[in-house]
Amino acid sequence: MSKPANPLELVDRYLQSVRFWLPKTQRQDEILAELGEDLRSQIDAREEELTRPLSTDEVAEILKRCGPPMVVAARLGPNSHLIGPTLFPIYWFVLKMVLFWILVPVFVFIVGPATLASTHGDWGAALGNTIGALWSGLFIAAGIITLIFAILERTQHFAAVQCKWDPLKLPPVRQEPHERKPSLARSVSEVLFGLFGLMWLLLIPNYPALILGPAHTFLKAGELWHIFYAPIVGLSVYALLRSGLTLARPDLTWLQPAGELLQGVLTLVLLNFILKAAGHMPNAEWQPFVALTDAAKGSRQYIGVAAMVNASILISLICAWVGICIASVVRTWQLLKYIRKRAFGEGQQATAQLR
Amino acid sequence: MPNGTGSAEIFENLKLELRRGCLTLAVLTQLRTERYGYTLRKALADDGLEIDEGTLYPLLRRLESQGLLVSQWREEDKRNKRFYRLSPMGEEILNQLLSEWQRINESLGKILQEA
Repeated sequence: MSKPANPLELVDRYLQSVRFWLPKTQRQDEILAELGEDLRSQIDAREEELTRPLSTDEVAEILKRCGPPMVVAARLGPNSHLIGPTLFPIYWFVLKMVLFWILVPVFVFIVGPATLASTHGDWGAALGNTIGALWSGLFIAAGIITLIFAILERTQHFAAVQCKWDPLKLPPVRQEPHERKPSLARSVSEVLFGLFGLMWLLLIPNYPALILGPAHTFLKAGELWHIFYAPIVGLSVYALLRSGLTLARPDLTWLQPAGELLQGVLTLVLLNFILKAAGHMPNAEWQPFVALTDAAKGSRQYIGVAAMVNASILISLICAWVGICIASVVRTWQLLKYIRKRAFGEGQQATAQLR
Repeated sequence: MPNGTGSAEIFENLKLELRRGCLTLAVLTQLRTERYGYTLRKALADDGLEIDEGTLYPLLRRLESQGLLVSQWREEDKRNKRFYRLSPMGEEILNQLLSEWQRINESLGKILQEA
């Protein structure tokens, strides 16, 4: 860039740069005229002090003190923001909810498995496709949410809604699950139903009608139940012990979420093994959960019933797997909050003692 | 505990906040006499309150939009300049602000004495 021959031309160049960054409003010319007049007055005052005209470098010093054109334009122009401070907390909340609590689980639990099925079990391709689709989805969702809130900001719609706020309609104070003691009724019910459930499980081998009902005449427990019966009973014993401990020690508020989380993880592990084993059974005689009794093996009607029951149980186990995954994520988050709160409380105590 | 550089930065930020609160009062008081932007800045700087263009002109625009100032473009020394002065409403608000300023000064004096 060449130095201007006339030092005052530098002021014009400066104003031209500020104009570039100023929003194109009616007041743009006024703002620039005032700024230009101010700068020329500064130059005049300095020339009067020095009793001579300023050089280009001296004018440049004055402009440097004023600041970079972009910064000056930002200060002189009207205050503008895409989403203002009133709406921003709600915008941030909605963004987090949609992106992390809705989109990500949908892609992980629905789109992912569907993609895996469409790629015929090719995990690499399925993962790549799912992540790619998730990435685009996140950007599109963030863009749409930002656009909606930017429109709300400009239409000032929210201001009217805010004015209708009523303190009497505020929700009651909510305690975190780990902060409140489990109710006695719930703890007692859990123990009783746990006991009942365990007894029922222990009686099933000798009384299959307890699970199969009238169908026990042509159906029996499938191969998988024999393999996984012991772990299932073990899990029920764990659940019963956990409920009993919660009933005996209600003061240990962390016990319930921690115990439920561990139970969830153990259940997921067991379900994984069961589903994997069901998947590896030969197609010709796919009867993992219920099988036909010897007397009923020849009947086409009973074969159809057995197939339906097996399919239903498989779908139920998959749904249970999804539900327990979600519940485990929630419980992990609750536990982490509890641990952080405890650590923060202990940190505060230590600081108070130091003082 | 903040280190030396950190506490200097904190002081500068708080000093800016303190000045910001006083600038409106100072500008309104100075504009009891008609001035244009540069002479207003100079008058404030001579009294110890430096203010840059990026702060003053948006403030003047805001005060004018609130009806506290009136402005007029006039030619002086062969250049167009925008002259500002207090409006009648501006005079009234300034008097109220000056009373409020006195009250704050007295309260602060008491608080500092007690401390």
